[in-house]
Amino acid sequence: MEARTIETDVLVVGGGGAGFRAAIGARERGAAVALLSKGPLARSGASPMAGADFTLDGKSLSELGFKGEPEDSEEKVFNDIVTQGFFLNNQKLLEQYVRRAPARLKEMIDWGLKVTFSDERAIFTSGLKLMDVLLRRARKVGVNLLEDVMLLDLVQEDGMVTGALALDVRTGEFLQIATKAVVMATGGWHKAFWPNTGMRDLSGEGMIIAHRAGADLGNLEFITHACNVLLEPPIWRGSIATYVIGMLAGHRLTNSHGDAFLDQYDPYTVKVGTSTEWNKSFVSYATTVEVREGRGFPNGGVHFSRGDVPWETYELFCSFVFPKWKYKAIDLTELGRRFEENEPIEVGSVVEYFDGGIIVDDGFATRVPGLYAAGECTLGPFGANRVFSAITEMLVHGADAGEHAAEYALSASVPEPDPGRFAGKRRKAEQPLVPKAGARPAPVRRRVQEMAREKLGPIRSGEELQSFLDEVRRIEREELPGIEATAKGRSYNKEWIDALELGYILELLELAAASALQRTESRGVHFRLDHPDTDNDNWLAESVVRRTEAGYELATRPVCTTSIEPPGGVVPYLDMIKKMMESRSEIGGHH
Amino acid sequence: MSEKRIKARVFRLDPSVDRESRHQEYEIPFEEGISAMDVLDYIYQNLDGTLAYYDHAGCALGICARCTCKINGKAGLTCQVPVSGDVTLDPISLSRVQKDLVCETKRKGA
Repeated sequence: MEARTIETDVLVVGGGGAGFRAAIGARERGAAVALLSKGPLARSGASPMAGADFTLDGKSLSELGFKGEPEDSEEKVFNDIVTQGFFLNNQKLLEQYVRRAPARLKEMIDWGLKVTFSDERAIFTSGLKLMDVLLRRARKVGVNLLEDVMLLDLVQEDGMVTGALALDVRTGEFLQIATKAVVMATGGWHKAFWPNTGMRDLSGEGMIIAHRAGADLGNLEFITHACNVLLEPPIWRGSIATYVIGMLAGHRLTNSHGDAFLDQYDPYTVKVGTSTEWNKSFVSYATTVEVREGRGFPNGGVHFSRGDVPWETYELFCSFVFPKWKYKAIDLTELGRRFEENEPIEVGSVVEYFDGGIIVDDGFATRVPGLYAAGECTLGPFGANRVFSAITEMLVHGADAGEHAAEYALSASVPEPDPGRFAGKRRKAEQPLVPKAGARPAPVRRRVQEMAREKLGPIRSGEELQSFLDEVRRIEREELPGIEATAKGRSYNKEWIDALELGYILELLELAAASALQRTESRGVHFRLDHPDTDNDNWLAESVVRRTEAGYELATRPVCTTSIEPPGGVVPYLDMIKKMMESRSEIGGHH
Repeated sequence: MSEKRIKARVFRLDPSVDRESRHQEYEIPFEEGISAMDVLDYIYQNLDGTLAYYDHAGCALGICARCTCKINGKAGLTCQVPVSGDVTLDPISLSRVQKDLVCETKRKGA
């Protein structure tokens, strides 16, 4: 089959907020820009599913005309994010996050973003509204938008990026793209876990393709789980409706013995850990303790109810968050009935955000000339635990990454991609269409996803990580090469896509498990049963995975600090959580 | 878990090979509270990997609308329409079928 060819200055890979903002940034600098969206434009990836909150310092927020908090400052926010991140934050990237946030919010509002309400440090809108604003802007500035197109590989010359090969998922046609720079903005790799928080496209190909091209990956062991995610009935599985309402209105969690298991923890930790976005680490940890110790329910969760919160209060909050008992398009009438009757529903911790990723410098460049990255697919500013908003991250990253990529593309001397290299990569991508052992990708994926949920959840152990790692490597060695699509047609061949994605998922799980095994301490969203303390003497370091001739090499590098010097000492995990919570500035809000 | 099983009749057509469409019948275990998307996921993952429905991307939360089909003759999002018994699934437009339940949409951009 013939391939379509496209020429551009900057290729942006990813159709979420970071990708769109990068494309706009590069285009506004005068570069020709093409954007690949694996799914529907502005309706794929995690961004449109977001709640969504945009966080920034309260002083800037009040100056923009929202509630905010004049007593707040960029320094206070910086301090709070560093302690929320257990001092593992890249402080250079964090400075960028804090400083650029106000300008990014202002322009979104200038471009037509509607804000639902605001608190001391955040405005609340919806992922759909954010994406609609970005889509409109991208069209206006003239970004070439390609829908249902998946990246397959990068083409390089002497290490330098010269092009990319992609697949039109609907037609099965290849796209050969000549480009001077690439911005990777492919988000997380939720698809490696089941259940996950909903999105079906996020299989981490951007991270692995960048890594194979020579970029380093880091902190892959830090995987944030949203708590209180609906696990039943199947039609609601993965929805964060109960996560949202639980944080705003309160809730009660019970285990299969009927015990309100949060009562055994320190009251201050529980208060902060349930009423702010600290819940992602604390409640997910506490829930997983119950499930692992055999006090969970059939879907691997615990019971959620409104508890002592009066029904009138609940109904009022719900009327804001789920008007007419609709959340997105989900009909939650039955959930309302359960809240009213105070009947429990099963919820649990489910993967939501990946703190680690492609390592970039403060110009969002990787080690590979011409390769940039932005948003969730990077090792971002949050360290070991994210409480502040990833919506802010996607926009501040996207804008700067796009501008830097455009500047590079417009000045660098980049050769045309070699046609011979495309041919080799096309053959490789067609491997699942070549008859072989006949194993289908979907059953293998499901098995891997369930295993990943169990072994790479909020609580890990050295022994489990090792056996998981061995099993992932065995599947990569023995099963992956035989994976094949049952039908060999090219048009919308799901098994072809799934077979390609399975390779990325397995490789990310291997690298994340190896990183988690290497980190012999507990910090942020990574808790090790066999190393239950936060070890500030030995582990104020990022995990780094570097590509080598033989495969990869796992190492560490010291955390990048600018203004806050991390403390030393070894502290029990729950004490460290409380200490970090207590370090927060006296500013209101949910972050 | 219930012992109950249900039948799903699913529209099949690969315009590059088939001269006409057909309905293929699958039997699947029933679980309380499943959606039409859960039915398709079960068939695809366990019974027939050749079945096409829009799933490589998309939200399963009623946002992206790419999974729109006719469910027992009525248009709806497969991810949000509950299934309680036997079910028939057809593409939203017979003239725009790309493969099985996947229909061409008006391509934006490109």
